[in-house]
Amino acid sequence: MAQLTAFSYRSGNSYAHALDVRIKLILLMLVSLAVMDAGPTALGVMSLCLMILVRYLHLPLKSVCVELRYFLILLALVFIARSLSTAGDPLIVWKWLTISREGMKAGAVVVWRIMLVVLVGLTFVATTRPTEIKAAVEWFLKPVPLIPRARIGTMIGLVLRFIPLIFTQAGETLDAQRARAVEHRKNPYYRLTKFVIPFFRRTFETADKLAVAMEARCYSENRTNPQFSARRRDFMVLAVCAVFCCLIFLF
Amino acid sequence: MSIIELENVSHRFPDGTAGLQNINLSIMEGTLSVIAGQNGSGKTTFLKHLNGLLLPNTGTVKIAGEPVIKDIHRARQLVGMVFQDADSQIVGETVEADVAFGPENLCLDPTDVRKRVTAALAVVGLTKLAAQRPHLLSGGEKRRLSIAGILAMEPRIVVFDEPFTSLDYPGTQQVLQEILKLKQSGHTILVTTHDLEKVIYYADRLIIMHAGKIVRDGLPDNIVREVEAFGVREPCTSRLGMEALPWHN
Amino acid sequence: MDTSRQLHMTVYAALFAALTAVGAYLAIPIGPVPIVLQNLFVLLTGLLLGSRWGLAAVGIYLLAGACGLPVFAGGMGGIGRLIGPTGGYLLGYLPAVYLIGLISEKSDQRTVFDVLAMLCGSIIVYACGVTWLKVVSGMSWSKTLALGMYPFLIGDALKIAVAVPIAKALRPLIQVPKSRATISREDNSQPVTRK
Ligand SMILES: Nc1ncnc2c1ncn2[C@@H]1O[C@H](COP(=O)(O)OP(=O)(O)O)[C@@H](O)[C@H]1O
Ligand SMILES: [Mg+2]
Repeated sequence: MAQLTAFSYRSGNSYAHALDVRIKLILLMLVSLAVMDAGPTALGVMSLCLMILVRYLHLPLKSVCVELRYFLILLALVFIARSLSTAGDPLIVWKWLTISREGMKAGAVVVWRIMLVVLVGLTFVATTRPTEIKAAVEWFLKPVPLIPRARIGTMIGLVLRFIPLIFTQAGETLDAQRARAVEHRKNPYYRLTKFVIPFFRRTFETADKLAVAMEARCYSENRTNPQFSARRRDFMVLAVCAVFCCLIFLF
Repeated sequence: MSIIELENVSHRFPDGTAGLQNINLSIMEGTLSVIAGQNGSGKTTFLKHLNGLLLPNTGTVKIAGEPVIKDIHRARQLVGMVFQDADSQIVGETVEADVAFGPENLCLDPTDVRKRVTAALAVVGLTKLAAQRPHLLSGGEKRRLSIAGILAMEPRIVVFDEPFTSLDYPGTQQVLQEILKLKQSGHTILVTTHDLEKVIYYADRLIIMHAGKIVRDGLPDNIVREVEAFGVREPCTSRLGMEALPWHN
Repeated sequence: MDTSRQLHMTVYAALFAALTAVGAYLAIPIGPVPIVLQNLFVLLTGLLLGSRWGLAAVGIYLLAGACGLPVFAGGMGGIGRLIGPTGGYLLGYLPAVYLIGLISEKSDQRTVFDVLAMLCGSIIVYACGVTWLKVVSGMSWSKTLALGMYPFLIGDALKIAVAVPIAKALRPLIQVPKSRATISREDNSQPVTRK
């Protein structure tokens, strides 16, 4: 899905790229949670930091907005609903609709928070290889008992492996049917069954062959663990962010 | 010394289809054998017995002197298998991750894994594409990636199931070159095909399969004229009464 | 469960997680509203993989998304998606797929029960999705339902109807072939008999 989405890894050698993945993943979770709890001042500070980071990394904000257009519409609806439904100091009154000052403020904060979480996710994804994320997930599952950690790591890797393959196969199945004028059939029931059955059948075959190939390469859940290297400054970054987030949670 | 030995091997699928019937065969270390036969003649079924993906109903398969069934893990490490469909045997989400998959299964040290990955990628000439996502590779590159994934396990036998299907001319040449390189470095090689044209020149031995049986087995020059009876096309050079010619340049 | 079958199911679960991810992008253009296939694929995950492996598939999908891998619609990863307004629908897939798998397993995959299972599953998805949408957006119930449920009901009915024949056609394929390594070793002892 290289071309498919602006939310993908972009190679580079910035400090954000070099930061240890595990710490990055903690930061992602921590900051996302802190954002959901932050007031306007904290949101402002965070937005400023993030915008600098986004600028510095040359992230494609425009194509991100295009991609998220439906999501943005939904956010706009949320904003409107909030401003209409929160009681308070009326700002605009038009027939039976009242928009309150508090409502506007509440709506803006909600939308702002969600947008920031999206931005945090974007910077994380843009600076981290999927393979590293997979390895980090595996690492974090280490202390959890009764969970087949290696299998989960393998499965995440396979998902990433399958997604482009499935896109190709779906495209080919659709083309093959278009070549036989399936568009003339308006019955959605017919269209759906006739698309999904051959499409799934093909992906199952692929999965089956893949499983055999994995067996042939000695697949075992008892395998070499991924390696990491956290440096001192990585922990410093973590500490600074943690303190900042704590302040947000406290106030 | 023979590295692959099959004695009286038969395999019947659960639905009753006879996959293999009474196969007796031994293959010398360091040779390149070609197994030819029409579709459904049992070539893939035969190969899957070499590393225990299928087990025989009767008879024994020995790899380097040990029965496969005794230690399937060992057989799978010794016999590297390049499957027909390159796309569906790539496990990793990047080229590098895919080559590392095998050594990681063997629980090697991370440094050893990295060493093997680097070496295997260098052999097949994919070093520059190490971080690439596999679905963006060309057909020939994908096939070379599956070869690298197998080399990283340091097998002694490398088995190719129809390696040239759906490859263009450059892709075919690349793969052929890899096969020859492997032979030169002392690997035992098996290649199945229904199209002798591309490999006959390099073969030390030709084995013809038909309906799950070995029907001809010997030096390519001796039996290449009889292959058409078993649904395999005779190479042009042989039809014209010439010596076989090398296919890559 | 022997290792070969377990490996096959692992790969299938990963496949269904990937299908769920791709389903968010796949739309069959029928009439004015294109039909997005993601929740159809979730229904099929439950029917075809059963409760345990179905849960694993959806769990992996959500885990991958939560960690920022680009598997959610619009490519937007991270827990932002899960705590955003539409996160409830995604989290609702978890109990839904488990329940669908459970009912269809217990009922021997009979059509009536498959439909019932999918109805229950869809209700769970909407219960989680609409509630969360209301909490985040602060809209009234009627507005939330009008925005987050009613427009999709016809499509959902269609998807349930379609899932029945699809599951029928594909179920035989998911059974792992009996001829594989460890299983065929057991077969050796007894001659092949046909029922
Ligand atoms: N899993 C299976 N179950 C039943 N029959 C099979 C299975 N796999 C292969 N066969 C049958 O065994 C025969 C040999 O197949 P195969 O070894 O794939 O042939 P080849 O590779 O030479 O084209 C074919 O007739 C095929 O239909
Ligand atoms: Mg074959």
